[in-house]
Amino acid sequence: MAASASSTKVSTNSTASDFCRWHAVASWTWDAQDETCGICRMAFDGCCPDCKLPGDDCPLIWGSCNHAFHLHCILKWVNSQTPQAHCPMCRREWQFKG
Amino acid sequence: MEESSSSMCNFSVLESMNEKSIGEMEDSWNAFCLATEALHGADGDLSFASDFVAHVRVLCSLGLESLIVEHFLCSMEETFEKNGASKFWKHFDAYTNPAVLEMDDADQQQELQDVLHRALEELSSDKQYQEKCLLMLVHALDMCRQIKSKEQTYSDAERNHLFSKYQLTVFSVLMASLPRHFPDVLQWYFKGRLEELSAMMATNCENENGLQENDGMDLDYKGREMDIDETHHQIANLGNNKLIRNIGVVVRDLRNLGFTSMAEDAYASAIFLLLKAKVHELAGDEFRFSVLESIKGWIQAVPLQFLHALLAYLGDSKSNESPASGQKSPLASHPSSRYYRTGTPPEGLVRWQLRLEYFAYETLQDLRIAKLFEIIVDYPDSSPAIEDLKQCLEYTGQHTKLVDSFIAALKYRLLTAGASTTDILHQYVSTIKALRTIDPAGVFLEAVGEPIREYLRGRKDTIKCIVTMLTDGAGGNPSGPGNTGDSLLEELNRDEENQENSSLDDDVNTDDKQTWINAQNWEPDPVEADPLKGGRHRRKVDILAMIVGIIGSKDQLVNEYRVMLAEKLLNKSDYDIDSEIRTLELLKIHFGESSMQKCEIMLNDLIDSKRTNTNIKATIKQQSQPVPDIGDEGLSLEDLNATIISSNFWPPIQDEPLNIPGAVDQLLSDYANKFNEIKTPRKLLWKKNLGTVKLELQFEDRTLQFSVTPLHASIISQFQDQTSWTSKDLAAAVGVPVDILNRRIYFWINKGILAESVQDSGDHKFTLVDVLVEDGRTGVNNGGCEELLARDEDGESSVASVEDQLRKEMTVYESTKIVMKKQILQKFITGMLTNFGSMALDRIHNTLKMFCIGDPPYDKSLQQLQSFLGGLVAEERLELRDGMYFLKK
Repeated sequence: MAASASSTKVSTNSTASDFCRWHAVASWTWDAQDETCGICRMAFDGCCPDCKLPGDDCPLIWGSCNHAFHLHCILKWVNSQTPQAHCPMCRREWQFKG
Repeated sequence: MEESSSSMCNFSVLESMNEKSIGEMEDSWNAFCLATEALHGADGDLSFASDFVAHVRVLCSLGLESLIVEHFLCSMEETFEKNGASKFWKHFDAYTNPAVLEMDDADQQQELQDVLHRALEELSSDKQYQEKCLLMLVHALDMCRQIKSKEQTYSDAERNHLFSKYQLTVFSVLMASLPRHFPDVLQWYFKGRLEELSAMMATNCENENGLQENDGMDLDYKGREMDIDETHHQIANLGNNKLIRNIGVVVRDLRNLGFTSMAEDAYASAIFLLLKAKVHELAGDEFRFSVLESIKGWIQAVPLQFLHALLAYLGDSKSNESPASGQKSPLASHPSSRYYRTGTPPEGLVRWQLRLEYFAYETLQDLRIAKLFEIIVDYPDSSPAIEDLKQCLEYTGQHTKLVDSFIAALKYRLLTAGASTTDILHQYVSTIKALRTIDPAGVFLEAVGEPIREYLRGRKDTIKCIVTMLTDGAGGNPSGPGNTGDSLLEELNRDEENQENSSLDDDVNTDDKQTWINAQNWEPDPVEADPLKGGRHRRKVDILAMIVGIIGSKDQLVNEYRVMLAEKLLNKSDYDIDSEIRTLELLKIHFGESSMQKCEIMLNDLIDSKRTNTNIKATIKQQSQPVPDIGDEGLSLEDLNATIISSNFWPPIQDEPLNIPGAVDQLLSDYANKFNEIKTPRKLLWKKNLGTVKLELQFEDRTLQFSVTPLHASIISQFQDQTSWTSKDLAAAVGVPVDILNRRIYFWINKGILAESVQDSGDHKFTLVDVLVEDGRTGVNNGGCEELLARDEDGESSVASVEDQLRKEMTVYESTKIVMKKQILQKFITGMLTNFGSMALDRIHNTLKMFCIGDPPYDKSLQQLQSFLGGLVAEERLELRDGMYFLKK
């Protein structure tokens, strides 16, 4: 509607179609290499067992080894591993990726 | 016979007789016979009496006493038969034809009344005269005896015996010659009188209503005794009533003639007929008012008054008449009715009242049961009728009748192919509500509901309709009772709150005393109760549970709701989900949070989408990008909104590839990039075939607005550059298979925007219609605006329906069974469940994934596992409760 004036330039004939409003549908996904969290085995696009809502409420976190986990899962893991936590996947020292 | 009996009895007398005395005896016998005849034929004239007495004395002295009596009775019977009875019946010859009786003619009525009165009077006087004669005979005999021996008198017992013998004779003569139509005549007579009386009472009542209004309340509380007192009150004017007296006379006469039971039958059936008519008149097809009280009132006012007056009259008259003989029916007025003035209502009257009320209850109950289907159809309005029915049933206890008749009505009227599922469900709910009133334990509801449930299970759209009804107010049934906009769920919730409040009270009061009271109030279940269904306290009627019971499990219901919710949400072009949130909250109350988790996430996605959408728009504004650069086709990021879903929690969504117009495609990827910027490291995957597009078509002479699917929008946008396409080319351009294109393009053809032509090659060709052809299909002129959601038309759904999913699941289950060697997997699962007791689906899945790596490896998705477990549950090896799997014991 906003650019109905410009539409005349496109149409070779007398007809023009204007998209006034386009409501699209998309799904989001975590841009991670793996599908599921190595700790809880739940899908990244889902959420960890303790959470109810996926997405912002249950984010992913990458370690310096580039392995991703649910934030809540890896925190639990890190807190239970003293003094030094290792990545559950590759056993390297766990460090959060900056 | 006379000879023989006399020789038998008077053998000793005969011995001492000589010729002379025999002659003497013969003479006096003949004279006696003549006198008797004369006496009987005299018609009330007692001039022959002295003669007669003299003869009797002579014969008595000869010892022929029994012979005299015998003869006298015989001759009396003969006379009565000849004169009294035949004359009496002749009065009614005119009414032999029942058709005459049916005529409701006032004159006729009056005539009959007169005839009856006259006939009865005549007959009674005949009888009285004969009784007098009999008395005379008794006197004569008495005197004879006194002369003979001083001590021996004619005893009372003998005298009574004689009179009852006479009564019996009269009765048997009348009965023997009873014309068949006489009971009808009587009934007709009483009916006429009662109607007259009823009309009279009605006017009386109207007059007195004003006076009684004040103490009306008292009457209700003090119950029957008070009612009777009131009756006494009115008896004064009723007792003196001529009408009642006339009826009383008739009844008394009939009674004296031995027609006690016949008269009673007649007026009883007349009363019942009248009562029935009254009930029908009051109740009829009107369900919005309670009629029970007014019927009871009427019983008090008319038939009971009548009976009271009648019994009082008969009672009074009886005290100075000889008691009526003949067998008494159990309901015959008791002599005690004479004592009604002492305060206690006469027993007969109470019995009558009970009998009449029972009859009224039964009549009303039958009437209501026959109409129960209609009553339930307009249930909330018809609750007074239900209340009436409840009271009636409490009284009569004929619940089975209700169940049988209602089931028959349901089968005949509701459970047919013609009835829509929504209607059936509405009726089901109304039935539950209505019957809950009648029968709080739900025993009969169980029986009635079963056929409906059975039938609904056979319908494919049941679940869908249930969900719609639960969540969408009146559930697409505009003709239904008008609580529009109020979903069943809301209503259930209100009920629930009420129930909770009351149950809270129960808890508070649960001390020993309360427990004792509760225990005392315990009542056994009705006999019809199914002992397998648990105790009554557990069988509290829960509408939702009963509805879920149709489907079998709440999981199916929740699943269906999720699919419908997804459909609804995906078609939203704004983010307004308030009503959905409300519904979800209600569903959570009933089904538990855990089962509604996914739906909650779906709604949350919408809320998040709105926020993200605003966020993205805000960043664009901040960067203040030159809008026109992108808006090649009049569309900027401003006009693009997106619903971003967490696909894991949505039902499977049909993802079809689609080429959308390049500019829009560009916009979408811009949008996705912005999203990625804001929400790193998350990214968007567009589902290009979903969504809603509002577009405007501009022609030379008109502008049309549409709201369509992206596919439709892509199709029509192709015609912007090129006005004519073959279907094959167009399909390639849009990126969909030809058959789908052909199906979808009909939308535009139907709208008159495109025209279709078939080419020689068999390919379809579509051309843009420049000039509006007035065919009435569009019905829109210049600048007109047409808002239509194209999706509705072709019934395409973006979400795989539950049926599809089920089908898929079943095939998955089947194939899983084969490939995975079911026993092995099952063994694993059984073993796990034995160890852990119960496990959730996810846990089983993950455990299998971790440990089941041998041969065959576990490589199934969560959904596949779920359907496999579902199969095991169906085979009753496992049990699923609240999302946890158990071993079935």
